Amino acid sequence: MRFRLLLFVSLLGLLVVSAPLPAWAQARFTLSGYVRADSKEALPGATVAAPALGTGVTADSTGFYSVSLPAGTQDLVISFIGYQTLTRTINLTKNQRLSFSLASANNELGEVVVQGSGTLEQKLRAPQMSVERLTAREAKLLPALFGEVDILKTLQLKPGVQNGGEGTSGLFVRGGSADQNLFLLDDAVVYNPSHLFGLFSVFNSDAVQSVDLYKGGFPAQYGGRLSSVVDVKLRQGNPEKIGVSGGIGLISSRLTVEGPVKKGKGSFLVSGRRTYFDIFTRQINKLNEGSPDYNPIPDYYFYDFNFKANYKLGDNDQVFLTGYLGRDIFGFNSTNGFNISFNWGNTVGSLRWNHVFSPKLYVNTTVSGTDYKYQIGNQLDQFGFGISSNIRDQAIRTDFDYALSKRHALKFGATVTNHQFGVGRLNANSGDGTLNINSDVHYTGQEAGVYISDNFRVNKNLQLDYGLRLTGFQSGSDHFGGIEPRFAGRYSISPKTSLKLSYAQMYQYVHLVTNSGATLPTDIWYPSRLNVKPQRSQQVATGVSFLLGNGKFLLTDEVYYKWAHHQVDFRDGAQLFANSDLDAEFLFGNGWAYGNELYLEKKQGRTTGWIGYTLAWTKRKFPPQRGTTGINNGETFYPTYDRRHNLTAVVLHQLSTRFNLTGSFVFSSGNPTTLPQSRFIYQDIYGANYNVVPVYPERNSYRLASYHRLDLGVVYKFRPRHGEQDLTLSIYNAYNHRNPYFIYFDQVKDEQTNLVIGYRARQVSLFPVIPALTYNFKF
Amino acid sequence: MNFRPTSLRLLHTLPVFLLANCGLQKDIDIELPSGPAQLVAECYLEDGITPRLTVTETVPYLSTTETITLPEVTVVLTLPNGTHDTLQYAPGLDRRTRKTYTHISKRRLTARPGNTFQLDITDKQGRHLTGTATMPTTIPIESVEWKFNDKPEGERQAYVLARFQDPANTTDFYRFQIHKNFVNKDTESDYNVDDRLTNGQLVTLGTSYRFNPQDTLVISLYHIDQPYYQFMQSTDDARSANGNPFAQPSAIRSTVQGGVGVFTVLNYQRKTVILK
Repeated sequence: MRFRLLLFVSLLGLLVVSAPLPAWAQARFTLSGYVRADSKEALPGATVAAPALGTGVTADSTGFYSVSLPAGTQDLVISFIGYQTLTRTINLTKNQRLSFSLASANNELGEVVVQGSGTLEQKLRAPQMSVERLTAREAKLLPALFGEVDILKTLQLKPGVQNGGEGTSGLFVRGGSADQNLFLLDDAVVYNPSHLFGLFSVFNSDAVQSVDLYKGGFPAQYGGRLSSVVDVKLRQGNPEKIGVSGGIGLISSRLTVEGPVKKGKGSFLVSGRRTYFDIFTRQINKLNEGSPDYNPIPDYYFYDFNFKANYKLGDNDQVFLTGYLGRDIFGFNSTNGFNISFNWGNTVGSLRWNHVFSPKLYVNTTVSGTDYKYQIGNQLDQFGFGISSNIRDQAIRTDFDYALSKRHALKFGATVTNHQFGVGRLNANSGDGTLNINSDVHYTGQEAGVYISDNFRVNKNLQLDYGLRLTGFQSGSDHFGGIEPRFAGRYSISPKTSLKLSYAQMYQYVHLVTNSGATLPTDIWYPSRLNVKPQRSQQVATGVSFLLGNGKFLLTDEVYYKWAHHQVDFRDGAQLFANSDLDAEFLFGNGWAYGNELYLEKKQGRTTGWIGYTLAWTKRKFPPQRGTTGINNGETFYPTYDRRHNLTAVVLHQLSTRFNLTGSFVFSSGNPTTLPQSRFIYQDIYGANYNVVPVYPERNSYRLASYHRLDLGVVYKFRPRHGEQDLTLSIYNAYNHRNPYFIYFDQVKDEQTNLVIGYRARQVSLFPVIPALTYNFKF
Repeated sequence: MNFRPTSLRLLHTLPVFLLANCGLQKDIDIELPSGPAQLVAECYLEDGITPRLTVTETVPYLSTTETITLPEVTVVLTLPNGTHDTLQYAPGLDRRTRKTYTHISKRRLTARPGNTFQLDITDKQGRHLTGTATMPTTIPIESVEWKFNDKPEGERQAYVLARFQDPANTTDFYRFQIHKNFVNKDTESDYNVDDRLTNGQLVTLGTSYRFNPQDTLVISLYHIDQPYYQFMQSTDDARSANGNPFAQPSAIRSTVQGGVGVFTVLNYQRKTVILK
């Protein structure tokens, strides 16, 4: 506690002593404005830099930038991934408003990313480390499973990020579990970011502008999860003219409409997609109708819609409205009259008001809501049975950006969230009233946070970004609080070499209740309450970055160590559903994760891409507690997402103006899994059939074989009379390697006697080589 | 009521179903973790029935050995009145249950609800397995009914419902079984429930449409204790984890200490009906 107090006082002290110094030597003025695409769409994350001064800023989520520069002539470099870098010389004699328009690097569909060296330089100079930025344009170029572009799976190709299993979009960042990622869609939380049990993410690449993944050194404005922040921003739509784009793929089709709301005032974008497995399976079922031994294939499909609109209320005010609705629908009618319907999905919305007080001060205020739920319904004659669970949030947050002086840029704000946890609703009833069971376990929780941070440019070589976030949570009469210091710093050894250091403490007040090896739609979110204390992590990371090859390459090496406290798991045989005493089923432990991430990227020229290598360890320990022997008898164990080695290589090559070739290669050590040590025969009360019961010793004591895969892609652009068209060929797992997905055991029987004569291990692989063709268009 | 065995379990197998359709499989050679063999005991006491018991030990999972009998273990059953009954090693097949056993008593057992029995097994390797079990109270089946669907003659099938009154003052666990004709053959329906959501209520348990006209059904309702309920749940979970990449393998929650297995006293009610 004394340490925390000391840290808090030290940070406040640093803020005070680093207060603005009086203007001296040379007058400075503020240059501000917007960075937009040539289609007038805002470009959040674009950089406006003055390389000669070693300074620059990143545009906010509206594309707005504000930078303090010395008076006089200045050379500016304005850049953004996928757009041609713009160089402008300005003569600054007063505070000035200036907006920039960047031309697309190529045409809209599937262009190779060409990026000015300014961005790599910005990355070198930024104090923020452990962050990955990806645009939908990049993701669209890379080969994808079934041709379905998935921005989260592309993030899995970055160092420090593991997947949850072949083909799945779950993220495991620097030893964190899947529920320790904060997914934000235009500032609104998304609780379940996947469709089809994790095979596809909910983020439609047609609607996404960009995604930022923070793995560590978290800025103070983010909080609520331990391991990562995935900040997804939607496109704002074309403010100049109505456009239609879309694609027809192997398993789904997409359509996007965008255009101006009122020319010069705003724009909108509506995007939707739907899978069509069910159309084929229904036909197969129809053809086999009446066949005595035929079991109908269950109905399954998913769809989602994205909506975004913005409107300029005046010179200094703009509003943004975002909506998302997605559902997975599953239906099954068994031949014995038992019907099941199962659907799940997110509904998300946010309304943001951007107000510019002055070129130095602006604020974003966002009201948002999110709802994730699943519902299961069964019907048999007069009997009905339903179970459901949901989590619903209403939140408001306000974020100020204040360019205090030439050396200090402050961010401060506050957020309040009301959580409603529908932990489990169950009803079973009959038409005649003889069966009537109802159970509803629900809680509420209120979460709040305030933060302040200062980006302090100490001198040309040293830049610090430090801050403090104070958080609190209450559920019923239970209260929790946390002090979350954040720090990131950069020291330039030379113009082409930077050292970086970061520290962050994070609190997580909501927990995912799951006892499966992966996240499933039926997992439940649960608040901190009674004995379930908040999860907490501390992460320290340091790294060095080199700009190589005349600024064409950036080589980064980062090491990190993360301590995780109050990690949650569940006792064996835990009753996780409709349990009013769910607290009693939790087990608590600690975790550690450490590793080294090596990353070489090239983003300039006809051949671009990156190579990432991660050497990492992740460990968990749950000691004996609450009348149990803990997990693994209290011994340390590796969670399933621990991978010792992980290598990724991504190459994008522009062969000609019409042909792009892409490829990605992944290698990772096998993931830990639990296999039985022994078995015994269990005859039961009556011995008509005996059962073979496996006895599992330690958790995750066996490792699957290593995983490696090569994906290839070709993008061919047509030259239609109107608009743009392309054909994308993806070849997933090009050399058809049988990667291990899981192992199971099978009985070996004597062919003559049909008696069991032994057991064998069988390895299941999920996807062989899968070619997929996608047609994309834009008018 | 515990709904894990029905809808949720079916839904958790959905991804397995979907993945299996894309699955590619091959045999592999692996070296599994090793450890000492544990004693395994399985014993169900029943009023009026001579106690029989099976004692074996765990075998390495990939071993070709199916099971190992242990002639040199000593099995002692302690009755409610404190007398000790040493069971003899006499492997055989119980025709009533169609089960093999390794040890048998010389006399029939008398058991009443509330009676507590103890089991003590030792062997020459120093392994020591113990267990305690109390006979649950009797819960009568209040009614059994069935209803046929509206399908044409020849395709008609019926579902079956059984009702019983759950006691209000205790936490209770049940095993519900339906057999066709004989109880020592495969079950048609077999699941376990608790009274977490139905405490003190008239409980209805049933099946889907699955029985034909003229079927003879034996409906059994076992009132069981929590350790036996947890043992069955854990063996079920452990077996389900084989082949399900989404399952977290479960440790066996035995009703005995010092080994693996189940020692319990049965108390059940049974009704036989012919679907007409």
